[in-house]
Amino acid sequence: MPKTIDEINERIKKGEAVVLTAEEMVEFVKSKGPEAAAKEVDVVTTGTFGAMCSSGAFLNFGHSDPPIKLGGGEVYLNDVPAYAGLAAVDVYIGATAMSRSRGMEYGGGHVIEDLVRGKEIELVGRAYGTDCYPRTEIRTTFTLHDLNQAILCNPRNSYQTYVAATNSTDQTLYTYMGILLPNFGNVTFAGTGCLSPLTRDPAYRTIGTGTHIFLGGGDGDVVGEGTQHFPAKQRGTLMVAGDLKQMKPEFLRGGTITRYGCTLFVGIGIPIPVLDEKIAMDAGRGNEEIFIDLVDYGVPRRERPVLRRVSYAELFSGKIVLGDREVPVSPLSSLRLAREIALTLKRWIEKGEFLLTEPVRRLPLDTSVRPMKQVEPVLKVKHIMTRKLVTIGPDETLETAAKLIKQHGVDHLPVVEEGRLVGIVTSWDLAVSIGTGKKRIAEIMTKEVITARDEEPVEVVIRRLEQHKISGVPVVDERGSLVGMVTTDDISKAFGRRR
Amino acid sequence: MIRKLVLNYDSARVSEPILATVIKETGLLLNVLHAKINSQGGQIIVSVDATEEQIQKVISLFASRGVRVEELRDVIVLNRESCIDCGACLSLCPTQALYFTPEMKVELREERCVYCKLCVQACPVRALTLSRVE
Repeated sequence: MPKTIDEINERIKKGEAVVLTAEEMVEFVKSKGPEAAAKEVDVVTTGTFGAMCSSGAFLNFGHSDPPIKLGGGEVYLNDVPAYAGLAAVDVYIGATAMSRSRGMEYGGGHVIEDLVRGKEIELVGRAYGTDCYPRTEIRTTFTLHDLNQAILCNPRNSYQTYVAATNSTDQTLYTYMGILLPNFGNVTFAGTGCLSPLTRDPAYRTIGTGTHIFLGGGDGDVVGEGTQHFPAKQRGTLMVAGDLKQMKPEFLRGGTITRYGCTLFVGIGIPIPVLDEKIAMDAGRGNEEIFIDLVDYGVPRRERPVLRRVSYAELFSGKIVLGDREVPVSPLSSLRLAREIALTLKRWIEKGEFLLTEPVRRLPLDTSVRPMKQVEPVLKVKHIMTRKLVTIGPDETLETAAKLIKQHGVDHLPVVEEGRLVGIVTSWDLAVSIGTGKKRIAEIMTKEVITARDEEPVEVVIRRLEQHKISGVPVVDERGSLVGMVTTDDISKAFGRRR
Repeated sequence: MIRKLVLNYDSARVSEPILATVIKETGLLLNVLHAKINSQGGQIIVSVDATEEQIQKVISLFASRGVRVEELRDVIVLNRESCIDCGACLSLCPTQALYFTPEMKVELREERCVYCKLCVQACPVRALTLSRVE
C-alpha cells in the first residue's frame, strides 16, 4: 500500500514517523527486504559534505548615504572580487573568486565561511556615480547580521556520483581531485556513496523543485536541476538555495585546493520519503552496488581515459587494486560530516521540526552535458612542429654537436640511435660541459626526455615547457620514433601569426 | 624521548650491514620509518627512543662507517578543531602516520611522520601545519 507525503507528514507531526539514515536503511533492506522497508520506514535521510565549486551567495547591503550604485561597478569583500552586475546594492560572491592580495589562500568560499562565523567583512566598492546615486567610492565593514538578505544560491551541488582519479604520468599533479602522485601512486574520489542524496532517488521521484532540504546547517530548498545535470550517467546535480543567516560554520567551509583554486565545502542533506517498494529498494542499495569511473587525470584533455569501474565500497576500504598492486585511496568528501548531517536531519524529523515537501516540478531525466562550442580551431603540435630535423648520435663528439648547432641555427639536438629517440642535447649542455673533459654526446645528454605527441594541443605543451623549465620538446609517435621538434621559437612564431 | 634520524648512504655503503651493526652495538631499537635506497645510495629515516647521550653514540657509530646522519627537528600538528575529516591527506602519507579512526575521523601519529609535507599542501582547510624546532 503506497504512502503519500501528507500521510508521512502527519506521522512526523505526531512524533510517530520511522526515520532511518541511508546507512541504516541499507542494513534494514539487506536483512528484511524492500517490501518490509516500504511498510515500516517512512523517511530515509541522506548527507554529503564536499567541495562544491559552483556555490556562492547573494548579499544585499542596504543603501549608504549619500547612496552608491555598486551595480555595474566593482566590489571587493575582504579583497575578494564579488560580482556586481546586479542592482545598486546586490552582489553575488562566488566560491572560487580569489583574493587580490592573498591569491588562492583566501577566496569567496572563505568569505562565506567568515560571514557565517559572524566575523566582520571589509567592503570596498567603486561606482561611476549618477544623479540618483552620486557616491563613487565606499569603504566599510559589515557582518552577516547587518545584511538585509544573504542567500546561499548554488547552481551545481550534490553530484549523484562523481569519478575517482589517478595519475599515469611520472609527475605529481595538482588537480581539483587533489594531489595525484606519479605512476598511479594514489587514488582520490568524491562523493559519499550510499549517503549521497541523489543515489537514493535515481529516478528523481521525490527530489525536485521545492524539496525542503538541510543546507549548510539550516533550511534550504531545491531550486531545480543543477548545471551539467546528466541523469543517463548517474550524474544528476541540484541547484539549491537557502538563508545563509541560519547556517552553521561546521557545515559550510571555505577551502583551497592547492595549485588549483578556492572552493566552498557544502553540507547537504535531503530526506527521501519511502512512498513505495521501488523507492525502498533504491534507497537500500549499498556501496558495493554504486560504481563510478576511475579516470586517468594524467591526460589533460576533456575526454580522459577511464581505467575501470570501481565501487564506493572498494574506495571506502582505503585501498584499491590497480594492475598488480594495492594503491592507497583518499576520499575528498567527509564521510564523518555526511553521517552527522544525515543524523541531524533524522533528529529534526523525529522531533517534528522538519516536514517533507511534495516537489512542484520533477527534475528532467533527459538532459546531457554537451561540450563547449568552439569556433576557432585548436592549434595542435602537428601544425607548428619542425619536421626537418637535425639529430645526432650518442657516440658522436661534442665538437660535431657544436658544428651542427652553428650550421643549422638550432638550440636542441635530439639524440637518435637506430631511429629511436634516446636523449637530447642543448647548446646550454654543451656550454656547461666545457672543461669537464667529457667528449661523447652520451656523457652529457639528458636521457629522460620530455616529449610531445603531434595530436596534442599546443597549450598543453606550453604548460609542459613551463613546468619543466625547458625551451623545446621532441615530438614522437606511439612507437617512440622521432617525428618532429617543437621549441618556444616555433610557438611564439605561430602565436604571432594568429594575432 | 622519541627522536628521528635521517641516515644518508652513499653508493659504497649500501651493501654493508651498517644499520644492523649499530643496533647490535647500542642495543637500541632503530625503527625504520621510510627507506629510499638503491645501488647509488639513498636515505633511511629511523625513529629511536633514546637519551641525548645514546643519540650521540648512534650518530658517531654511523659517522665512523661513512653514513652521514641528520636529526629531524620538525613538528607537525593536526588542528582537530579545523579538520573536516575529508581524508585528502591520507593517500599521500608514505608512512600511514595519518589515518582514519573507526568513526572516520582523521588522526595523526606524529611518531611515524617523516615530514614529507605532502599532507600540508593537500589539506583544503589548512588544518596541518609544519614547524621546526632548533
